[in-house]
Amino acid sequence: MKRLSLSLFLIFTFNLSSETILLKGGLVHSGNGDSSKIQDILISDKTIVGIGTNLIIDGNTRVIEVNGLPVTPGLISPMSNLGIVEINALDVTRDDESDLLSAGFSIFNAFNPHSTGIPWNRSNGVTSAMSTPSASSFPIFGLGSHFVLDGSLEIKGSKDIAMYGRLGASYGSRAETLSVLESLLDIGKMVKTLSIEEILEMNLADQLELQSQDIIALGKVVNDGMPFVLETNRAVDILQALSMKKKYGLNLVLVSVEEAPMVLDQLKESNTPVIIDPMDNIPNSFDELGSSLDLGKILDQAGIPIMFSTQRSHNYHLMRQGAGNAVAYGMSYETAIKGMSNTVAQTFRLDNRGSIEAGKLADVIVWDGDPLEPSSFPKIVMIEGKLQDLSSRSTKLTERYTNTENKPSSYKH
Amino acid sequence: MKNKVLIPILLFTIISCSESFNIDLPFGDTESDSINPGIDNAFASTYSPMDSEPILFKSANIYDGLGGEFRNYDLLLSEGKILEIGESISAPGVLVIDATDKWITPGIIDIHSHMGVYSAPGVSTSSDGNEATAPVTAEVWAEHSLWTQDPQFALALKGGVTSFHVLPGSANLFGGRGATFKNISQNTIQAMKFPGAPHSLKMACGENPKRVYGNRRQSPSTRMGNMAGYRSAWIDAVKYTDGMNKTDEDRRPTRDLAMDTLMGVLNGEILIQNHCYRAEEMAMMIEMSREFNYKITTFHHAVEAYKIADLLADEGICAAMWADWWGFKHEAYDMVQANVAIIDQARNGTGCAIVHSDDAVGIQHLNQEAAKAMAAGNRAGYEISKAHAMRWITSNPAKAAGILDQTGTIEVGKDADVVLWSGNPFSIYSRAEKVLIDGAFAFDLNNPKIQPITDFDLGIIQPQTNRVQ
Repeated sequence: MKRLSLSLFLIFTFNLSSETILLKGGLVHSGNGDSSKIQDILISDKTIVGIGTNLIIDGNTRVIEVNGLPVTPGLISPMSNLGIVEINALDVTRDDESDLLSAGFSIFNAFNPHSTGIPWNRSNGVTSAMSTPSASSFPIFGLGSHFVLDGSLEIKGSKDIAMYGRLGASYGSRAETLSVLESLLDIGKMVKTLSIEEILEMNLADQLELQSQDIIALGKVVNDGMPFVLETNRAVDILQALSMKKKYGLNLVLVSVEEAPMVLDQLKESNTPVIIDPMDNIPNSFDELGSSLDLGKILDQAGIPIMFSTQRSHNYHLMRQGAGNAVAYGMSYETAIKGMSNTVAQTFRLDNRGSIEAGKLADVIVWDGDPLEPSSFPKIVMIEGKLQDLSSRSTKLTERYTNTENKPSSYKH
Repeated sequence: MKNKVLIPILLFTIISCSESFNIDLPFGDTESDSINPGIDNAFASTYSPMDSEPILFKSANIYDGLGGEFRNYDLLLSEGKILEIGESISAPGVLVIDATDKWITPGIIDIHSHMGVYSAPGVSTSSDGNEATAPVTAEVWAEHSLWTQDPQFALALKGGVTSFHVLPGSANLFGGRGATFKNISQNTIQAMKFPGAPHSLKMACGENPKRVYGNRRQSPSTRMGNMAGYRSAWIDAVKYTDGMNKTDEDRRPTRDLAMDTLMGVLNGEILIQNHCYRAEEMAMMIEMSREFNYKITTFHHAVEAYKIADLLADEGICAAMWADWWGFKHEAYDMVQANVAIIDQARNGTGCAIVHSDDAVGIQHLNQEAAKAMAAGNRAGYEISKAHAMRWITSNPAKAAGILDQTGTIEVGKDADVVLWSGNPFSIYSRAEKVLIDGAFAFDLNNPKIQPITDFDLGIIQPQTNRVQ
């Protein structure tokens, strides 16, 4: 290691963070949308400090030969339940719903770094994620936070950095949903001129059953550009969302947008990033009649920033399979890689992550094959410069049940 | 592989057998074996293949669905059947398709689908898969719920799916009969039914039945309640079957639809497709099948199958699995990605592993799901080839659906249910270019005229265009 002459204290903290590592000769996809190149990546003190082919290293640097394998930024899920849902069908293992709060419902303090979904997704290449509340309140679910998936009890994350909601078919009329959404955003606007107490005393706040946390959060969406992530599908609903964006100056992110190709020009003009599941071509509702496998290609060709969600809980890494299918249907390869990393970082203002660039935190994956092939798997997962263990309950169970010793399985460990 | 040529006369015999099977069965040879031949053949298939011409695929790479891989081979289809596979086939005057650098596989088969009974859009009026009004509803038939205009059929076809087995849901201990279909949308359910395919009976273990009925304060509310419910029904079924076997017609019991189904299982005519996640529950179901002397064909959603892989191989029971679903319920908590491979490799490779979908998206990408399962198995130390893994989505599900004698492999004499892939089917970048069912083009990526559009899709967004192009 470098800097051995530093004080004992510094050596101690340095050891805790990470060693200096050179990932040598990988096919590097930067995540910025640039095409891949064979390069070395030098990582020191959590951070990418150099990229190139003739980097100068000292004798203390650990050199890992990558031998041309693909290297990408760590994947970032833009929408997950990681750390807040253990088993979906068991309410006592869920922390993603609130009876009391709506727009201001924060899941941050519920995050469990020991949830089994975390090592599983990490070993599959997901190094950090937005975790979000579920739709217990409608049309706004609450606030999502960003979490680093290193399993540490010292939670590394960004608290309450985006608001999530939905516009579309529900039990009532969508006209009512739109009116409620506008009222909520009006309340948010008032935060600029009125105190929370004054707003709480208003009839409107009472009608909307708002708590002070809800009002503060709405203020951030309307006045501070906090990302407002809205799921919507029907073409005309997308237009409604875009006009709301204009009216309130929202930092809007749209989710699902299965009928986006019908309103492509407006979407493009609005400069709104989207989160899509490229594999979902099922007309699941009458809002999604236009759904197709061409969505990713069409959005990409229009230059719209794209991120990826997956239908399946617990397997957020399957965004790779979605991205791969999008490429099979015409999306550009580097857009797909960028959509799993840098586009998410840019959208959610995770400024120090998301790409393989000098100065960024070293969340880096080395793959055993093309990262868009679902049969590929990480060989190296690095979070903030630290090599991660790739085991999970799944690998433990596999070891136990492929062990042929003649004794009860409970003794095979 | 040497050229295998089936002489045309034999081929005609096969076709006519198949036809006479459909039309003549109620009055044919099987009458003597059956107590109620007319009843047994109610709602029989009226499927007839689309018109086709002889087709010769040249220079294809072929996975035969049995574990074989043939590079640069020719494949000749004629009169709805596979006529010849060989290194160089000459067949003057037939349609020749250059398949250089492309791959041919058997049509993909899904052993677990709810297409048509949980149609899209997923609205309450199309929720027809669970008769969740009593824990034992062996009397219902999934096919009686099928909506022939479900747009999901055509989407699955584009993923190479030529046959699929539709099951009732898992709310009940006995959910009802399942049926197998050829993936060609028609205006009647019978016209889609796979000719001669046996019915199945859906059973369900574990959380679902005990939750559905436990929440209503009725039995079953526990796993032991589940077991008591199955066993009580089998006791009734044994008695009913004995009664129906009496030579004196007057002494036979009154006909009962639920008991007809259970009797069909005891007589070996109806195959058990058993939703069951946990290892000890699967083992318990096997014990019960011994108690009442019936055979379990497949455990579905068998997330913990790997824990009893040898037992399943010894019993000759298939396990139908996802590549990686987990965590949505407690009994799906112990997922391992090598599950499919462990089942496959059990007892020196005699296990029967199936990758299934249970999902309208998953069914379109079963090749990718198999790729994931294969790669996970190989990471766990097995050496599973692509040719071998192809069995998981072709011949093994065909075996589990009881249609392996007709489809599921590229073998001379089989139904010409085949897929031409743009590249290796285990790659995410490969797409099904042409899908043939009984030798007829059912889907062609490059020909809009050979891309099915259901009634639902027509003019539904804008009158001038269709939902899918």
